[in-house]
Amino acid sequence: MRSVFLAALSLFAGLSWAADVTLPDYERVVLGNGTVLLLSEKHEVPLIGLQAVIRGGSAADPADKAGLAELLATVMQKGAGDRDAAAFAAATAGVGGHLSVDAAVESINVSADFLSRDAELMVELVADVLRRPGLSEEEFSKEQSRAIGLIRAAKDADPNRLMAYYANSFLFGEHPFGSPTIGSETSLAAIEHDDLVRYYDDRFGGDRLIISVVGDFDIVAMKARLTAEFGGWEPAGAELPVIAVPERVPGGRVLLVDKPGATQTYFWIGNIGVSIDYPRRAELDLANRVFGGTFTSMLMTELRVNSGLTYTARSVINRRSVPGSVTIRSFTETGTTLDAIDLAVSVLGRLHDKGVSDDKVASARALILGQFPTRLETASALADMFAFLEQNGLDRSYIDAYGSALQAAAAESIAMTIDEVYPGLDDLVFVLIGDADAIRDDVAKYGAVTEMSITKPTFKPQ
Amino acid sequence: MSLFSELRRRNVIRVALLYAVASWLLVWIVGHMVDGLGVSPWVSEYVLLLLAIGLPVALIFAWVYEITPEGLRKGIDVDQTQSIVYKTGQKLNAAVAVLAVLGIAAVIGEKLLPEFERPPPLVLEEIPLKPVFDFSAKAEVPREITSFNLPNGLKIIVWPDHDIPNVVMYNFVRAGGRNEYPGITGVAHFFEHMMFNGTNSRAQGAFDEELEAAGGANNAYTSKDVTVYQDWFPRSALETVFELESDRLSELAIDPDVVETERTTVYSERRLRVDNDNFGRLYEQMYASAYLAHPYQTPVIGWPSDIENWTQQDLEDFYTSYYAPNNQTMIFSGDVTPEAIYLLANQYLSPIPRQHAPPEITTVEPAQQGARRFVLEADAQTPLLHVVFHAVAENDPEALHLELLLAILAEGASSRLYQQLVEIERTALEVNAWRSGGFDPGVAYFAVTLPPGGDPVAVEAQLLDMLEDIAINGVSDEELEKARNLHLASFWRALQTIDGKASALGNYEVFTGDYEGLFAVPERLSAASAADLKSIAAKVFQRNNMTVGVLRAPDDGGEK
Repeated sequence: MRSVFLAALSLFAGLSWAADVTLPDYERVVLGNGTVLLLSEKHEVPLIGLQAVIRGGSAADPADKAGLAELLATVMQKGAGDRDAAAFAAATAGVGGHLSVDAAVESINVSADFLSRDAELMVELVADVLRRPGLSEEEFSKEQSRAIGLIRAAKDADPNRLMAYYANSFLFGEHPFGSPTIGSETSLAAIEHDDLVRYYDDRFGGDRLIISVVGDFDIVAMKARLTAEFGGWEPAGAELPVIAVPERVPGGRVLLVDKPGATQTYFWIGNIGVSIDYPRRAELDLANRVFGGTFTSMLMTELRVNSGLTYTARSVINRRSVPGSVTIRSFTETGTTLDAIDLAVSVLGRLHDKGVSDDKVASARALILGQFPTRLETASALADMFAFLEQNGLDRSYIDAYGSALQAAAAESIAMTIDEVYPGLDDLVFVLIGDADAIRDDVAKYGAVTEMSITKPTFKPQ
Repeated sequence: MSLFSELRRRNVIRVALLYAVASWLLVWIVGHMVDGLGVSPWVSEYVLLLLAIGLPVALIFAWVYEITPEGLRKGIDVDQTQSIVYKTGQKLNAAVAVLAVLGIAAVIGEKLLPEFERPPPLVLEEIPLKPVFDFSAKAEVPREITSFNLPNGLKIIVWPDHDIPNVVMYNFVRAGGRNEYPGITGVAHFFEHMMFNGTNSRAQGAFDEELEAAGGANNAYTSKDVTVYQDWFPRSALETVFELESDRLSELAIDPDVVETERTTVYSERRLRVDNDNFGRLYEQMYASAYLAHPYQTPVIGWPSDIENWTQQDLEDFYTSYYAPNNQTMIFSGDVTPEAIYLLANQYLSPIPRQHAPPEITTVEPAQQGARRFVLEADAQTPLLHVVFHAVAENDPEALHLELLLAILAEGASSRLYQQLVEIERTALEVNAWRSGGFDPGVAYFAVTLPPGGDPVAVEAQLLDMLEDIAINGVSDEELEKARNLHLASFWRALQTIDGKASALGNYEVFTGDYEGLFAVPERLSAASAADLKSIAAKVFQRNNMTVGVLRAPDDGGEK
């Protein structure tokens, strides 16, 4: 009897899923200079999450100075307002706060989270970083050589961490998405202090700014405070460059990054995919879950569960303002490199030929809906989401209508999406990091092989 | 006269019946003593054995002896015209009937009544945690948190939180690298994989499939002390989670074919985390060198030859010993009520039998007899320097002091080591420090990444000077205040999510034996003094207590 009762309860709870996948209310204010404020109160714990977004990111780096946006982001934290680097770090940590500045492909983000009692100070520090960064020559040169050192350190560590930089360089070529956000040893060395200051003047200003704040505060007071800090910020000095639409790469080709002595080959297979405004987003999310987004995905089942070839295999879709990449990623012991890659390609072939089964789609739908509330649980997560929507010109229906779009996604529409988004087997770009001597000859069957050493001071083969 | 009639006449059949009914009652009672009162399961086994031995004795006795008005006599000595076996038979019938009625009443009663423990009280109102900023007050233990023990020894803690319609389950199994020995290193972690690989009624992969179809996700991790299973799911999947967890905790299939595929998967994980990552290689060697006796010396992923060679029997033994309900603690946090959890736990988890407690780990790492050091030559553009000192266990009150000390030394850009090594001397690209420690004393761990061409010997000297300084001169009030604030903010950040709540509660419960201690953290932060930090620094940062590991390119390899 108990379990019947509980089952009835569960059924009732299940009906409320779609209704739960909605954003809380938030207030949107546009200041006279174009700065957008997004505000929402949330009082469960005494914390505040703040996300400030400056439009334009590493995609706006000069072609020969990749890493400029990220280096600027680092130096911005090394002293701002009246505080030098040490005093600034001590001020944040002194109250247990987090404040970081990072470059993404299409934005530079200031993320902060802190105890609500410290809102006054932390908003001041965020304003200092954005409007009054020190950008001293000494801090610049120190962080420049440190950034170069950290890339070399990363080459000694798990090759997965650098895979995207090699892969994007090879796939996108001269397109801005091919520019590594962290830069390369060579491109970082080419940056001068003047470049950094000019970049700040050109790219930073009130017209590029979105500030999203969620948490334990009073909305009226916070709005007044942010308006006072940012309402008078002048516009940025230069136009944002327009990002061209990248074209899918025809035919097969291979980049082999030699890491002598590696006992495992790390591989990436992909091509150009679709943009953030892709109309069949729900269908694509469902298809990609089934293909390579869960423990039970087609890729995991074949490459891990049935064959033991790898620890993990997955597919990732990067949607940006213009199409980003669609990729398969995994790794395997050097001796089984071909087996694993062949198997991954054959699973992609099966996705095209047979599509995804209805029961797998139903399961993926349940999983996405079931997990969705946890993605918007904290003040910081909500602040990020509000800023993301604003940055990409999306409204709240992007979230609020997502549940019904998932429910409505039909098999034919999913099949059409798969055809449209995933590259065919003849048009695959392969990027491999491993022991080249052991695999060089074998991988030539996937296309013309370009080879480079992992110690080469750039992520581009030429 | 047939043998059967004679057996009947001598009441042998009635005695057998009485024996059976009485035995059944006795076994039932003893079973409940084992489950409910923590009496060792051996008692059940002994009672069964004794009853089995007793049966022929009783029957032979009934055959041979008769009860007469003068007492017990051998049957052949009794004048059969005066025999009262008929009366004795009636008494025996009555006894069988009474015992049977008692037994049936007990079984029915058991079904109707709660077992030994009442369901937890209904908590209607959820009280938000009271913010504590001034360090003077103790955070209140949220009164909606409830814990209870199942009769089989499984402890369950429930923290209701209805902000989102989701639930998190953490199951802490007290099995980790610490419970391994040469030949089976890595087996606890391997089990973490096998727990997803099928049961007697579910195929490999079915656990994930059924959970995902119900909207739930899962994962697991293994440390040197515990293996932790995590399910994140919408509240509608609650019963599915109980069903799936109960199944794999009681009916795991350890299919030899699956074991072989999983071995290669785990080997791939080892290549990923250790063999092809310089940090992972050095980290493994640090523990192997710092511990001589205690099993913290072995890598959680396992030594390669053990991954290749553990046997089916090793796996089966491990499952029986460690995956017993009395060796686990389960936490639920989220959109649930303690009542719902109690009822489902009783239905799905109570039937899993208690087992003998796993063998205790009694080895104590002897005091280190002098500094140890090694150089690992590898393909490396940037040298790594790791330094560890033996420190304290998780439940040691000084663990918090050590954490505050390490925050002052290495948390963030304002920390002492970052300022000195990265900003001023520029002899390091990165510096990190953390405390490890579980049921037994762990280490204070320092990890420094040097720039290309950096000199590990010089950086080691700089690092040790600074540790010596803090042990002699202590910390400033400002530093102490900063470290407390960093810790307090982390405390609140962790409690923002139902996942963080389950994790924090579970770790406190498992490692300190009392989840309520979690809410004493603000108060304990307020009590921690500069003298406490100096004292733990002086105790831990001693050269005889130190292991230094360097990973760098071979001397003749030079810089690439």
